[in-house]
Amino acid sequence: MEESKRDKLKIGIYELTGCAGDALLILDCEKELIDIFKAADIQSFLMAKSDNTDGELDFAFVEGSVSTEKEEKEILNIRKRAKAVVAIGICACFGGIQATFLDKKDWEDNLKKVYGDVKMKHTKPVQSKPIDAYIKVDYYLPGCPIGKEQFLSTFNRILRGNPPELYRFPVCVECKWNENDCLLNKDILCLGPVTRAGCGSICINYNLPCVGCWGPVEEANLASEFQLLREKGFDFDFIKKKMSNFSGTGMADFLAKLKGEKK
Amino acid sequence: MKKISIDHLARVEGNGGISAVIDGKVVTEVRFSIYEGPRLIERLTLGKSPEEDINIVPRICAICSLSHKYSALRAMENALAVKVPSKVALFRELMHLGEMIESHSLHLYYLALPDYVGFPNAIAMASKYELEVKIAIEMKEFGNHIMKTASGRYIHGENPVIGGFGKFPSKEELIWIKSRAIQFMPFVLKTVNLFCELEYPDCPEDDTIYASCNPDRKKYGFAGDEIILSTGETIKKEDYKDLTNEFVVSHSYAKRSHYKGEPYSVGALARINNLGERLKDEAGKMYKKYFNPRWKKNPLLNNAAQALEILYSFERIPEIVDKMLKLPDPPLVKYKAKEGKGVGIVEAPRGLLIHSYELSDGLVSQTDIVTPTAQNAEDIERYCYIAAQNLLDKGEENKIRDSMELIVRAYDPCISCSAHMAEVKKAPEEDWKTKLNDIKNKSTPIFVGVGKHDRSDDGAGIELALKLRKHGVSDVWLESEIVEREAPLKNGLHRPIIFLDAVDFRDKPGKVTVLPLHHVFSNSGLSHRLLPFISDQFSYMQLRNSFVLGIQPESIKKGQKISGSVRKALTQVLEQIMK
Repeated sequence: MEESKRDKLKIGIYELTGCAGDALLILDCEKELIDIFKAADIQSFLMAKSDNTDGELDFAFVEGSVSTEKEEKEILNIRKRAKAVVAIGICACFGGIQATFLDKKDWEDNLKKVYGDVKMKHTKPVQSKPIDAYIKVDYYLPGCPIGKEQFLSTFNRILRGNPPELYRFPVCVECKWNENDCLLNKDILCLGPVTRAGCGSICINYNLPCVGCWGPVEEANLASEFQLLREKGFDFDFIKKKMSNFSGTGMADFLAKLKGEKK
Repeated sequence: MKKISIDHLARVEGNGGISAVIDGKVVTEVRFSIYEGPRLIERLTLGKSPEEDINIVPRICAICSLSHKYSALRAMENALAVKVPSKVALFRELMHLGEMIESHSLHLYYLALPDYVGFPNAIAMASKYELEVKIAIEMKEFGNHIMKTASGRYIHGENPVIGGFGKFPSKEELIWIKSRAIQFMPFVLKTVNLFCELEYPDCPEDDTIYASCNPDRKKYGFAGDEIILSTGETIKKEDYKDLTNEFVVSHSYAKRSHYKGEPYSVGALARINNLGERLKDEAGKMYKKYFNPRWKKNPLLNNAAQALEILYSFERIPEIVDKMLKLPDPPLVKYKAKEGKGVGIVEAPRGLLIHSYELSDGLVSQTDIVTPTAQNAEDIERYCYIAAQNLLDKGEENKIRDSMELIVRAYDPCISCSAHMAEVKKAPEEDWKTKLNDIKNKSTPIFVGVGKHDRSDDGAGIELALKLRKHGVSDVWLESEIVEREAPLKNGLHRPIIFLDAVDFRDKPGKVTVLPLHHVFSNSGLSHRLLPFISDQFSYMQLRNSFVLGIQPESIKKGQKISGSVRKALTQVLEQIMK
């Protein structure tokens, strides 16, 4: 193993604030895990190993949102050391559920309601933001959590020097591949049309509506997708509220685009 | 000062650290910190529909995501007066067993075992234990498979919903799960032998209180409507706050808990201590074979307890499948309620998990979630302190760091719960000055002089108190005055209390050390006359806000005067307080 170590890509997997679901999903690649560790030089993966190092990297996979001053420093340090940064999961991509309070004052009030007047000594909290609020991100792997197939295909592609190939269409496309009945036709609010594909339309396969956990789809005609839902008779504010449950800042950007405003 | 510090606790789920500060012969500080940023989960559920809440709250933690879902569903269904059919209850139990198997095998083989066999990770361990690692991976995969079948995907599946499931598994799927569970039994039994026979160090041993769910009908299990304690007491789930008493500390974003002034532990070890007698079949036999009094006081045995629970889970799966096969798939239970209150408790793999909701006008108006790691944090700190001081006493300072990591990891902390990790630091010269200033900066302290005036250096505390009075410092008391009148301390509930005393730290005479009062209590080497009259009168929060300024005496013989070294120390302390 040692002889080929220097030819291997150096990879680090990092967790900022979140549920650790994306790192766990990588651990959940049971059959492939030993091969992953053989194929690349995994320099840092806190959840999986204790001999972690902080050196130069080819790829850094980062999960979670930036939520403390310590994490602000950490993300800058990761960027400095890595040739390419991949945001994994909705928290790193869009801030996730903890980026609900987008207004600074609103966030401060809520923080105070939870922690009272206790001043944190170890690290100061900051408003939760996706990692691209601090650094340039090369690739985004959305999802809550990321999908196994999507991660393994991305991992394989980068090992061979290719960029990841991500789905740029809504959940509806995958849903049609799976030949599900459209829930919107049953008057059930399903966020499939406005949500990025990659999950394999899993909720609809289980007769349940899409909850929007992969964040807003990046598509030219997103306004018309939104319009479709409105035509079905769903309230704009209600859709907005439902979409905001997971997307954090992603939803704010999405709405800004809808209004034709510049970011 | 020396600080042993593990900033990035590896092989735990989430982001946290443990640190210990050593000042001479004494451990003056142990902190279990959670660096994971605040996520304000309880706040952001407000105004959401019950369904949205059920979507969001499992995102607190990927590892316990189904326990969060289960607990939230039980709470929400209580609030909405929804009663689910038995097939739904059975399928939820199966789903939860999947999570137990997945989480326990992840923890035991990937996270804990490498420490005991001397490898940095499970993958490296595979070079020597290839077969074990491969089968462990398969066992974990089996747990994952059940979770995926029940919830829709490995992590954060949405299939369990209020009133039932979006979809039930096919008969073929259920039969496959049952036969696979039976197939695994030989390896499961080996797992129990392996983890029950590991050599667990005895350095952190001490009694604690264990809390867990009390399943119905005197059975073993991972859900119930009542909390049971190792003291024999039971608490109704609605009264959970009697147990948890949450408070915030300034070095962690996870809240803390204490029960009647004592830290307590939750998790597999708590469940085995409280409910182990109820285990039957192979799990019952193994319990009888391995359970012994050490399991009551050594947190490292949590690993052994988890192994027993894997066995219990594998034996329970075929029973559930057989029952499910006889029942038709029920439709979702519909509800109309828009108002209500409900508490749901389940055992997450790492311990008691509580969700509590209030609904008004169909939306969530109040949320309270108490996670297992938050409840364990105080005991994690306490056991690390005990281990660190015991090792220091034995002159094995070099073992402190590894030992603290073992303890933290044994608790299987799910740090994402709000919550990487061990650090050992040497205190800098005159660290007591910094500590004293920190206390003074928070709030004006109350001083209590302790000791015997006629026993040379033992009179240092009294002497110091009298001098402070002379210099016009208010709220200075003598031990004798406190014993006579409890009032002075009770009035200053929110203010820090500093006990001035001669304490034998086995250090050089005149050495000053400031340390938390509860460390003095849990350090048998420092056991003290303070104990009887303080412990009865103090609330837990008061105890946490109390300190000892101890001066190393040269002699405590009767009749002698205070020694020169201690007298010098007294002058320095006096100057520092007056600054």
